[in-house]
Amino acid sequence: MPETTTRVLGLALSVAYAAFIGWLFVRQPQTIAQITGGLSSAIGAYKVDEQALADGLAFFRNDQFVEARMALARADPALRDARTQFYVAYSYYRQGWGRLSHDDRLYAEGLIAIDRAMTLATSGRLVVTDSDLKMHTAEELKAELEAGLRREPSDLNPMRLFEVRK
Amino acid sequence: MTVAREAVVLPCVFLTVLLLGALRIADATVLVPPSPFALVLGALLLRVVVQSGALAPERLMSSSRSGLANLNGAVVLAALWASAAQTIAVLIPASGLPQLAGNVFFFILLLNTAAAAPDRRQLLRSLGVTLGAAFVLKFVVLHQLSAPGAGPLKRALHTILDGVTLGALIQEVPHPVMAYLALVAVGLFLVGVLLLPHALPRQARPHLALAVERGGPDPPAVISATTDVDG
Repeated sequence: MPETTTRVLGLALSVAYAAFIGWLFVRQPQTIAQITGGLSSAIGAYKVDEQALADGLAFFRNDQFVEARMALARADPALRDARTQFYVAYSYYRQGWGRLSHDDRLYAEGLIAIDRAMTLATSGRLVVTDSDLKMHTAEELKAELEAGLRREPSDLNPMRLFEVRK
Repeated sequence: MTVAREAVVLPCVFLTVLLLGALRIADATVLVPPSPFALVLGALLLRVVVQSGALAPERLMSSSRSGLANLNGAVVLAALWASAAQTIAVLIPASGLPQLAGNVFFFILLLNTAAAAPDRRQLLRSLGVTLGAAFVLKFVVLHQLSAPGAGPLKRALHTILDGVTLGALIQEVPHPVMAYLALVAVGLFLVGVLLLPHALPRQARPHLALAVERGGPDPPAVISATTDVDG
């Protein structure tokens, strides 16, 4: 192989390898699926499993939130799809919602998921048009989750018993 | 040194060291880049490697080389620096007094090595011993001290030791695979340093100077001609 070709190939390989390591440092993927998903999404080749997403939404509408999250995790194994992550966050909200008190652990998980969804959304704007939902934007859902995690005097308001789940 | 070694092998070896050394496997696997102080220590190690002749920087970057060749050389130097910092970082304990002692130990040791001005062979031996000793200290001695153990007596001693040292000595026990990853990273780093384009041995330098005086080939050409035989 000519010297110049070897040098160019070596340079390209080194730069690509260094960029990959830099990407790993920034993204901190936890699974191989997240690595492959992240790389394929970087070149616009990442696709959500539509069948698994449909299964997840069916479970979600049936209030089977644990099952819904399992199916949604199958649909978006690399955690790269904003809409799927929105539904994951919404499932934590609905599961954690209670008339007397909210489940802080589930709300905290929901907050992580909605932050992830907002990061993934183009220019941070995420709107999901679904008639089954009462909150359609990531901002509404995030505010609701944050409010649920706060300790406020209004928590003791008896009118809260008449609130409805969104 | 062959072009393939300079353009492909050395960057890949050093970048792999950077990757393996950054892995911290626990409940959640994370990649930890070298700390700023580890980068300083890496720069010191780079200086010692150049000073000893284990690396002849003029064989990687010089005005007599083409732009593309200089780019390849720059990649090798950058990767060597990052991997040196990462190799040291992986061998320094993660927290408490041992971390401070590890940082100071490497800092003083590298300054001392620079002052001693070893040649290439001595530096390679010294690096092997130093990195090997640091590996044993972190992954064998400190690991044994920090592991709570199965028996009640060992657990009691562990609790007493943790209490007496105010938690400054006991480390978080690393995942078993971490020791193997660190060993591979250190081994690869040493192999990489061994493969670097090195300067002529000291005893050969007078001949080189004589050749230059007589109007012979310029130094880089002589160095290449001599070292390509063994390198």
